[in-house]
Amino acid sequence: MVDLYGGRCYGYFYRLTGDRDLSDELLSELFVKLVEKIGSYKGGSFESWLFRIASNIFHDHLRSRKRQKKLAEGRRADLEQRPTETAQSDLTGDKLDRLQIQLNRLDSDTRDLIVLRYYSEMSFKEIAAIRSEPIGTALSKLHRGLGKLRELMEG
Amino acid sequence: MEDDRNREELTELLGRFFGPSEAESAEREIRAGDRLFDVSPSPQVAPELLEDIKQRIAVRLAAPRRGSHPLYRYGGAAAAVIVVALIGFFGRPAQEPSDIHYASLIPAALWDSDDIVSDDMKLAYFRSELRRVETQMLALDADDGEVATGALDEVEMELIRIERQFWKE
Repeated sequence: MVDLYGGRCYGYFYRLTGDRDLSDELLSELFVKLVEKIGSYKGGSFESWLFRIASNIFHDHLRSRKRQKKLAEGRRADLEQRPTETAQSDLTGDKLDRLQIQLNRLDSDTRDLIVLRYYSEMSFKEIAAIRSEPIGTALSKLHRGLGKLRELMEG
Repeated sequence: MEDDRNREELTELLGRFFGPSEAESAEREIRAGDRLFDVSPSPQVAPELLEDIKQRIAVRLAAPRRGSHPLYRYGGAAAAVIVVALIGFFGRPAQEPSDIHYASLIPAALWDSDDIVSDDMKLAYFRSELRRVETQMLALDADDGEVATGALDEVEMELIRIERQFWKE
């Protein structure tokens, strides 16, 4: 299971965070949580269940970082802007590829949708269910988001 | 028509939500997006990290559940004792058991299934439960006689739970 899904889940976390160390942490957390929650898996698409947990872990991380920033800096820090601030390299100093730099310029919701769609290989119906939004909305957002990403890549 | 890696008929789906020209544009954009990611793969996950994760999972599965209710602890241990006793009374075969007899402890559905991923998870859980019962038997052996009387109901509950979770897979 780890061998089968490790690469895709790592790619998912990396494209969301742009940070290898953080992606390592989130990937570890994902599989440990998967074992803990295996009793709640009721069949159906395993990938959908897996990426639902991965998505929750990422958003929990975002919330946690936001709280930490608020406490530490005493100001409203928008964590979702952090990748833009470190656009050329991640926290470990590794150079980001061009796609990552442009992905970081998208708003977090659009980035999340694009990355989830690519790495999870879920259908739009499954993606819309995870995001609690209608399929048409998810389709429109993806269409617009990918258009913006293409413009950024060409620019 | 191009196969969609996300297991859906994209053209038909877009046609349900957009007009013809917008649907065509959206499909073109989505396919271009997929290609963009295809040619720009993310960094590879380190094999060491995957090994580390596997070890962490193994440790987690091997460890007895902390804080589990005493009812289940003693129930599980007693259930194991009863199962062993029943095998002793009724299950002794006329000849030495073959390997198949041991293997058949695993639900037949798992052997018949081709869903490796799902089965792996079930087996991991199954194995952790066996380890838990084994640990409880050792604890019971160490405590020697400290099991509360009137544990019959607890044993029955545990047997029902085990039966539901494994034997009827």
